[in-house]
Amino acid sequence: MENNDWAVENLQTIRTLMERSTLYRRALAPIMLLAGIVGLIAAAIGVHFRLNTVEGFTLLWLITAIIVVGGAFLIARKQAVKDSEPFWSPPTKRVAQALVPPFTAGLLVGVLFSLGSKVRLVDFIVLLPFLWSFFYGCALHAAGFFMPRGVRCFGWVFIISAGIGLFYVMLVRPHFDVNGHWLMGIFFGGLHLAYGGYLYLTEKKTP
Amino acid sequence: MNPEPFLHLDKVIHEKGRLAIMSMLAASPELSFTELRDALAMTDGNLTTHIKALQQEGYVSVAKSYQNNRPLTTCSLTAAGRKAFAEYISLLEQIVRQNKPK
Repeated sequence: MENNDWAVENLQTIRTLMERSTLYRRALAPIMLLAGIVGLIAAAIGVHFRLNTVEGFTLLWLITAIIVVGGAFLIARKQAVKDSEPFWSPPTKRVAQALVPPFTAGLLVGVLFSLGSKVRLVDFIVLLPFLWSFFYGCALHAAGFFMPRGVRCFGWVFIISAGIGLFYVMLVRPHFDVNGHWLMGIFFGGLHLAYGGYLYLTEKKTP
Repeated sequence: MNPEPFLHLDKVIHEKGRLAIMSMLAASPELSFTELRDALAMTDGNLTTHIKALQQEGYVSVAKSYQNNRPLTTCSLTAAGRKAFAEYISLLEQIVRQNKPK
């Protein structure tokens, strides 16, 4: 009892655990389903309208990301209002803080690739989905500290898939044309839809 | 230094594992056994022991039901548990305030 470090540590632990518990209850299924559906629609738009320049590709997926993030916030807000909890609560703030660095890194890579697109046009479009998936996986893993363990595993799925994809595209080099929009559709649309469907079927329904 | 607040700390809650369980339950109406186990990275046996201790003290209530034909155990804080937890935090804050350099 020479100092009060243990008491401060205990209070900090309590606070962190209470924050984790608050977010633990957030229903992720609708957010994941939204991300999956929007991702697949964006992929279809990209393929249909042949948005094959890096600028067009980056812009389409940037708009998609804004729609998904905006939609996710609206769903989370609806849940917070329903549970009579403040939307911008300390745990929500912490999740946002965990997401910002990898999201910023992904945005910077997109902008850099757009600026340097005159050098190697097609390869960049193929590389971007893997790099974005890599950063997105890191973001999910960081935010997963406040969420069910499945979110962290989901983050690893993105990181590992992106790693394998990058290895394949850069070193093995595929013998067929790889469409960046379809890659995004599979990574962001397909994976979110699959995880959202899994959560929807397994999540505990509150009355 | 006044040792009074420290002496009044609830020894049942003060244990690290039980404090974690109480903290999680304090911020949630109820949590399933699996959610608690995953969030706190505890073994089934460890969590069961701690929950039993908290149950015996009347701090936690356990309900058993079925979800998708599978047994579901949910835990929640009782009114006594919520009160004891609030008192515990209040004593910790008192200890921190007391030791703060002026």
